[in-house]
Amino acid sequence: MSLLQIKNLSVEFGSEKNPFRAVEGLDLTVDQGEIVGIVGESGSGKSVTMMAMMGLLEGQGRIVADKLEFDGKDLLTISARARRKIVGKDISMIFQDPMTALNPSFTVGYQIMEVLKLHQGLHGAALKQRALELMEMVEIPAAASRLAAYPHQLSGGMSQRVAIAMAIACNPKLLIADEPTTALDVTIQAQIMELLVSLQQSQNMALILITHDLAVVAEVAQRLAVMYAGQVAEMGKVPDIFRHPAHPYTEALLKSIPEHSKGAHRLSTLPGIVPGQYDRPSGCLLSPRCPYVQQRCRDERPELTPYPQGAVRCHFPLYDKESR
Amino acid sequence: MANVQASPATSAAEVALSYPSPLKEFWQGFSHNKGAVAGLIFMLAIAVSALLAPWLAPYSPIEQYRDAILTPPAWMEGGSSQFLFGTDELGRDLLSRLIHGARLSLLIGLTSVVMALVPGVILGLIAAFFPKVLGSLIMRLMDVMMALPALLLAVAIVAILGPGLVNTMIAIAIVALPAYVRLTRASAMTELNRDYVTASRVAGAGLIRLMFVCVLPNCMAPLIVHATMSFSSAILEAAALGFLGLGVQPPTPEWGTMLASARDYIERAWWVVSLPGLTILLSVLAINLMGDGLRDALDPKLKRAA
Amino acid sequence: MFAFILRRLGLLLPTFFGITLITFGLIRLIPGDPVEVMVGERTLDPQMHADAMHRLGLDKPLYLQYVDYLGNLASGNLGESLVTKESVWKEFATLFPATLELARMVMLFAAVFGLLAGVIAAIKRGSIFDHGVMGLALTGFSMPIFWWGLILIMFFSVKLGWTPVSGRLDLAFDIAPRTGFMLIDTWLAEAADPEINAGAFKDALMHLILPAIVLGTIPLAVIARMTRSSMLEVLREDYVRTARAKGLSPARVIFIHTLRNALIPVLTVMGLQVGTLMGGAVLTETIFSWPGIGKWLIDAISRRDYPVVQNGILMVATLVILVNFTVDILYGIANPRIRHAK
Repeated sequence: MSLLQIKNLSVEFGSEKNPFRAVEGLDLTVDQGEIVGIVGESGSGKSVTMMAMMGLLEGQGRIVADKLEFDGKDLLTISARARRKIVGKDISMIFQDPMTALNPSFTVGYQIMEVLKLHQGLHGAALKQRALELMEMVEIPAAASRLAAYPHQLSGGMSQRVAIAMAIACNPKLLIADEPTTALDVTIQAQIMELLVSLQQSQNMALILITHDLAVVAEVAQRLAVMYAGQVAEMGKVPDIFRHPAHPYTEALLKSIPEHSKGAHRLSTLPGIVPGQYDRPSGCLLSPRCPYVQQRCRDERPELTPYPQGAVRCHFPLYDKESR
Repeated sequence: MANVQASPATSAAEVALSYPSPLKEFWQGFSHNKGAVAGLIFMLAIAVSALLAPWLAPYSPIEQYRDAILTPPAWMEGGSSQFLFGTDELGRDLLSRLIHGARLSLLIGLTSVVMALVPGVILGLIAAFFPKVLGSLIMRLMDVMMALPALLLAVAIVAILGPGLVNTMIAIAIVALPAYVRLTRASAMTELNRDYVTASRVAGAGLIRLMFVCVLPNCMAPLIVHATMSFSSAILEAAALGFLGLGVQPPTPEWGTMLASARDYIERAWWVVSLPGLTILLSVLAINLMGDGLRDALDPKLKRAA
Repeated sequence: MFAFILRRLGLLLPTFFGITLITFGLIRLIPGDPVEVMVGERTLDPQMHADAMHRLGLDKPLYLQYVDYLGNLASGNLGESLVTKESVWKEFATLFPATLELARMVMLFAAVFGLLAGVIAAIKRGSIFDHGVMGLALTGFSMPIFWWGLILIMFFSVKLGWTPVSGRLDLAFDIAPRTGFMLIDTWLAEAADPEINAGAFKDALMHLILPAIVLGTIPLAVIARMTRSSMLEVLREDYVRTARAKGLSPARVIFIHTLRNALIPVLTVMGLQVGTLMGGAVLTETIFSWPGIGKWLIDAISRRDYPVVQNGILMVATLVILVNFTVDILYGIANPRIRHAK
């Protein structure tokens, strides 16, 4: 059985009369101990999906789904109190900007120990010992003295390590990393990624890696979901998708990675931007930007359709050369 | 050089074509706030009645109708349609006094804002441009003035200068000065670090030009909002001074002065006490509502917070 | 932390000297001289006038007079009232507890209700409660408090007869001032002699209620508005999301992670309210005949009792800067970024 099962999840913002669907009909499963990448441009609904699942959209978004299950527990009907027993313990999340993700008024140690106290009931020397252990696990030098440091005294990379320590404090079954390296210096990015992957392996947790960087996903993830405008455009195993993308959008993303376009004189780009609230096309959401667009694409929205290597939301998937 | 100057002009024209004008954008932000619009309408009504007071007011504000002393408002038992809001302890028509009082309050408010704003902005800019000696000297002085409670300082100044309309305005302006200096200095300091200021410096702009043409326009948003707020507090302070007997002297119909003499009739004639104060409250509230609207419309950073 | 306090203290001293300059200058700017004021309406022959000037040191050059003034201040001599011939310090010390009692009540009232209203309004943003509280807060902020006092007296004292009109205690009670705080003094007196002093505490409390509401209206409104906007700002911060992602309870997210940070600007505003409070005390004490330093100063001004005006203002200003200094220190404790700033 999968650790996380999401079926047909939609998240709406705005008023009832004039809603904006940030996520539409999303399906996703994550198994124990695997790394799943979610890739897409900004505003494609990657983070919103995860925040909805964790109940962090409280009072802002309306969440509808056929199924939203984590570790056998139904997150749709669960009480807020029971959800808080899972969130931060079995599922935890690290965010994009480590410099703003830590509370400036409390020491790093306090913020780590807060989780341990809440979910594991630790206190006294054991609590401090465990916090120290965690700081060492995320490879923070001089961990003992850093426990008393305030977030503003740490660099971005250090802060992200602290955030990771906080997230893995209770040995979560699922860790969600929302663009964990985007806000960091290039040299630090690789270190943090390495740390995340090694922790994932040593703790045997599942990792959902939200990013817009396909290169990172190619290196670490086993499976991949490509999102576009709140929908999953394509899903499958990483090697399959990288070798034979089935969706024109995935293909365009791959072409925009420098390493993948050797020989070409210019990097390929996809013209246009993700459609916003009011300019959604009635047909396929990619139709205004798609290089292979046909009349049917403009008229009819495609469904996510399984094929042997995965699933794709396209009337004319790229593996099906004859139909073009 | 000529080419360089030509291009911003054309791009500005293009921008004007595709985006709403700043004024329209401002009005959209402002009118979004219903309270601000209500405040604006109320203040327009007050301003009109102040301007047209001699024609709008049914009677002279100081004429005493000795046979109609303490007549209740028209809608009360014993009231007379002759005096809509009743009369005071000397038989003067309350409505006429309130209308004429609007002139004084607006005059005091406007004058003292200008008298605080102009030197405040200049001192603030000087403090920002010369932060070492002159700046810290100015700021220490402002600290000293800030340490004295506003009303107490105003009272002390009036005690030295003597009561009266002009001295009230001076006292209120002096009290309001430090806030303008601090605000101008703070926003100017932020602007000074921006690249466009360096660019004008490199282009050879003189000090005066840098101060007033380059930096000052970009500090206007908080200054305008603050000016609105200090306008309302000027009205409040003028009324407080009048109430303490240190402001505008009777029989001039200043709202606060009217309240001072009304105190003795608190048991017999509620209207003499209630109406002037209510007028002050509503005017100040209206201006503050406008101030909130201005802040929403002018300050995009605060807009998100509201 | 110690260095931080020293730095703030360094800023305090110039401000204090600036204030002495102002209070010193205040008297010299007033038309007429103190001797004329002392003798009042009577005419004075020039010789006696010159003698009096000499005795008071008023014939020396200005800078020497200022040095004398500072010397007097340093030795704790604040001069004496021209009217009562009492030492200014003694008068201040007798009257100050009345103002302090009022101000303390007011700050308690304003801080508790202002914080509560602001926090709830921020959490229930856009609700009827939010709109109601913010409307009331803006009205309170716009309130001419001298009028507000009259209206409350008119309603609660004159019409309903619930509260006394003026003063701190009914004349029927004869309470020995021990602490100077009427609530405490009456409490002690009632405990010591329940027969004679029955109801004294309640009477003192009833005297305190209306002035406290009047004086507290503006600080309450300001604190509520500031708390709300500050809370809304902090609630959008990433670290609040982090706190919720940890599975913390809503109460903990709001009161520990949000309020702690939102309090920082609110604290500054509260410190600034002390100045407003002293100004408001002038009006409130006048309306309610509250025998505190606000009324004392206003009376001194109308009697042209200049030593009282001069050094009374000095005392009040010193008080204000001391409170603001304390707030600065608290600010440093609440905000580690400030504390560590070089």
